[in-house]
Formats: sequence, structure tokens, C-alpha cells
Amino acid sequence: MGSRRILLLGSVVLLALCGCDWDLWGIATRPNVEDRVKEDLSGGLTTPGPVAVNPDSFSFAVFGDVQIRHDYQSSLGRFQQEVAERGIDFFCVLGDLTEDATPDEVDSVKLQLERVGIPYYATIGNHDLYQADGWERFKENYGPSCYVVTVAGRIKLIFLDTADGTLGPTQFDWFEEVLRDTSYTKVVLTHFPVFDGEKPVMWRLASDAERVKVQSLLKRYGAFAWCAGHIHGWRHMQVGSVDHFTSGAMAPGVLDYGNPGYLLFTFARDSLSWQFVGMEWR
Amino acid sequence: MLLKAPAFLLTLLALTGHAAVMPSLTLGYRGEPGVESKLLAAAQADILPVSYVKLDAGLSFNLFQNNGLGAAALALGAVAYDPLGLTLRLTVQHQQWNDWRAGENRVLATLEASPVYGFDAGLGLVQRVPVFGDRYWSPLVWSGDASEWNCLYRLRWRFIQRENWWLRAGFSSYDRYTAHNPQQFPFEADGAYRLNEDLELDARAGTALVGFSGGLASFHEVELSAGARYGF
Repeated sequence: MGSRRILLLGSVVLLALCGCDWDLWGIATRPNVEDRVKEDLSGGLTTPGPVAVNPDSFSFAVFGDVQIRHDYQSSLGRFQQEVAERGIDFFCVLGDLTEDATPDEVDSVKLQLERVGIPYYATIGNHDLYQADGWERFKENYGPSCYVVTVAGRIKLIFLDTADGTLGPTQFDWFEEVLRDTSYTKVVLTHFPVFDGEKPVMWRLASDAERVKVQSLLKRYGAFAWCAGHIHGWRHMQVGSVDHFTSGAMAPGVLDYGNPGYLLFTFARDSLSWQFVGMEWR
Repeated sequence: MLLKAPAFLLTLLALTGHAAVMPSLTLGYRGEPGVESKLLAAAQADILPVSYVKLDAGLSFNLFQNNGLGAAALALGAVAYDPLGLTLRLTVQHQQWNDWRAGENRVLATLEASPVYGFDAGLGLVQRVPVFGDRYWSPLVWSGDASEWNCLYRLRWRFIQRENWWLRAGFSSYDRYTAHNPQQFPFEADGAYRLNEDLELDARAGTALVGFSGGLASFHEVELSAGARYGF
């Protein structure tokens, strides 16, 4: 390739990066997953509390990637109708709440999530860190990125921070510790998926060794499911006894797979079941 | 088992002086934050039984974490067009993590070439089959819930070549014992120093970017190794 072409290609890449709303310096100097998790576990942040539900029968929805943009559109309005129709008790958002984490987008998604009208939990995604103050805004609005919530003394929801595409040493140790407790049905909720079918691309958790370690921990401690976002759409794989979900997205525009939707968990008769609910756009 | 018989025969040929054999021993370290941190000891051999056929095999052992056998590999290459170094290679790899009771079997098909002096390139596919639980140690498990196909690639440049030593840098998503997945973008640098006609010292350093699918890339793993290679 000639030097002119290299220069041209470099200019195009530079222009593309400058043209987006990402704060490139902010991204480069952001707190990484290890920094965020240490802050999460320091006790300085308020962990979201348990939600009040009927302990014998309740349901909750899980989805990722609301990814609110300049036009503030999402499928959350349509989801609000689903909540009313199906009597969903609470929901979990698996990161990428905004496209570029600008102040307007952060405020808009917070408002739209509140408007759904039921309790919710959130964890962080890579898009939520596309500004220098992305982490500050996230924890101000939603609390820690890595925490545990128990529901009705039956279900343990384990929220992990995988926004960097990896867990990091502190979170790995903490994760194993919280998985050890065998008195709950354990559901892991995070941004990055571990598996994605037979012909996957790069939208998954880091290295082979990391994925193998995660799966062996899930298997050893009898986790029920790993629920993720990042890929926009619905995907399901069962690896051994563990269900791996890419839980559906509420993002505007064309999704990677199918329509917007969410994963609906129902607890009844002492067991947890799941189904994917697809929705028409808006 | 199909591959063990020819490997045994070729080793026998080598030991009786009917094939060129280059055994090597390496010691190394592999670390990945929060995942593993271990020492590696590997023994391998490159065998050239006849012109246009390359065979290599090796075993790698882990120390301090996931102790014991860590990886095994056997590869058969056929040189399709010598002036370009065009080589079709079929590799079978087994990797295991004893503490986690997990393993992975892989078969790699690659096409490698050195079209320009100093550069070598490769493209290929790998079928990987992770195995969890009781049979994690078996290299004979070739189906599983999490099996997948990944692309492989390589481009390396030997940027310094002197009479007794050379240095190379580039990226390669596969080597004798490993095949990186699409979430990783691996970089490596290696070199060798020839002590005498038969003995060469080798060293290699590798790392990989992760998280780039989310625009938040970071270097994740570190692999260092050094060893000696003997030709007879």
C-alpha cells in the first residue's frame, strides 16, 4: 500500500472518530473494570435493595442495550405496555443504556426507565463509558456495576461488570465467592455474553481461558443462567446445565437478530422458568 | 489414534537417521489478570521425514496453577508450492485446565505462505470443542454444547536477519498449542540466536488485545517463553 493511501486511510479513520460523540481521551483514561469493581465492593456506593414481590409467584424481565441516541427513541414505551399486560414485577437492564453516554442521553434514558413504573436494576455496558464522566454518571444514577440482589429469599441475581469485555481479578474472586452459596437459584446478569452459537464473531467475553473458567464456575456452583446483552437480539445456548442468553435488546433501529424483546423469568411452584417475548418496533 | 501411528513411525525414522529432527525445550510464563498465572514447560519436535512434508508435535505442562499436562499438539504440513512457501497444515490440539476440570480440543486447517522475503502469512479455520466435567482430559471428545468455528490469521515480519540471529514481530492468532478466538487480537515478537550449527536459542513474547468489540480495548494476557532447539 502506498504512503498516500495509508495517509488517506488514516485521515478517514481520524475523521470518523472525531465525527462521533465519543470522548476519546475520556475513554483512554477511564477507570477500568478493576478500578470500578474495587469501588463497587468498597462499601462506598449504595447497593440497590431487594424488591417486594409475592414470594410464591413473581416475574421479572431482562434485556440489554436500550442505547438511547440523539433522538431519544427506544422500545421502552412498548415495554411499559408489556409490563401492564403481563404483570411483570421488576426488570433488569444489562448495560449500554445510552449510545454515547452524553448528559442528554443519560438523563433521557433515566427518565424513560422511571416511566416504566416498576422497580428495576441496571449494570454497566461499554457504551456507558464513552465519556470521561461515564462511570461517575452511571454510579450516580444506578449505584454499583457489580452487586447482588436476592429476591423473595429464592433467587440470587448476580450483576457483573463486563463493560471492558473481561472480569478482572477482584471481580473473579468476588464472583466465585457469591456463587458458592447453594441456597438460592442463581442468575448472572451482565453485558458481555460468553457463548454465541457455532459461528460467533467478536462480541463476547475475552479469552478462551477466561470463558472456560467462567463456565466451569457456573457449572461447579450450579448457576441457573448467564444473561447478557451486547449483541442486539435474542440468542440462546445451553452449555451443560447452564442456560446462556443474549437477552434481547430495546435499541432503536435494525437489531443484529430479530425484533426488540426481552427475556421473561417466572417464578412459580418453587421453580424458575423462562421465555423470550418479542415485540413489534415501537 | 489415527495420528498417533504415523507420529510414532516418523519418530522412529528420525531416531534411525532417516529424517531430520529438531527437538526443542522451552520454559515460559502465561498470565491473564484474574484468570490464570502459571509457568509453562514444553517439549516439542519438528520432524522433516521427506521433502515437502513437515510434522511437528509437542507437550506443554503447567506449574503453579492448573498443574500437570496443559496442552498437546500434533501437526502435519504439506508444502504445496515451494517458491512461495505455500504450506497446507492440519493441526490437532488438546488443551486442559485441571483445576477447573475443563478442556478444549481443536482441529486447525491453515494455509501458510511466505510470498515476500521476511514476511510470513497464514489463514485458516479452527473447530474448537470445549469439554467440561468428567472427560475434560480426553483428546477424543469432538462434540459438545459450546463447539464453534473461528477464523485464524497470521502476518509476521522478520525485520532483522543477521548471520547468527534474527528478530520477528507481528500478529498471529494461532501457534503450536493455542488458537485465539475472535475476541482477542494477538501480537507477538520472537527471535533466535544460533550458538552453533546444531543449537539455537529461541525467545518469544506475546500479548492480546481484548474488549475491542466494545471500543474499550485493553491488553489482557502475557506470554513469555525461552528455550533451546537442537537439530540432528
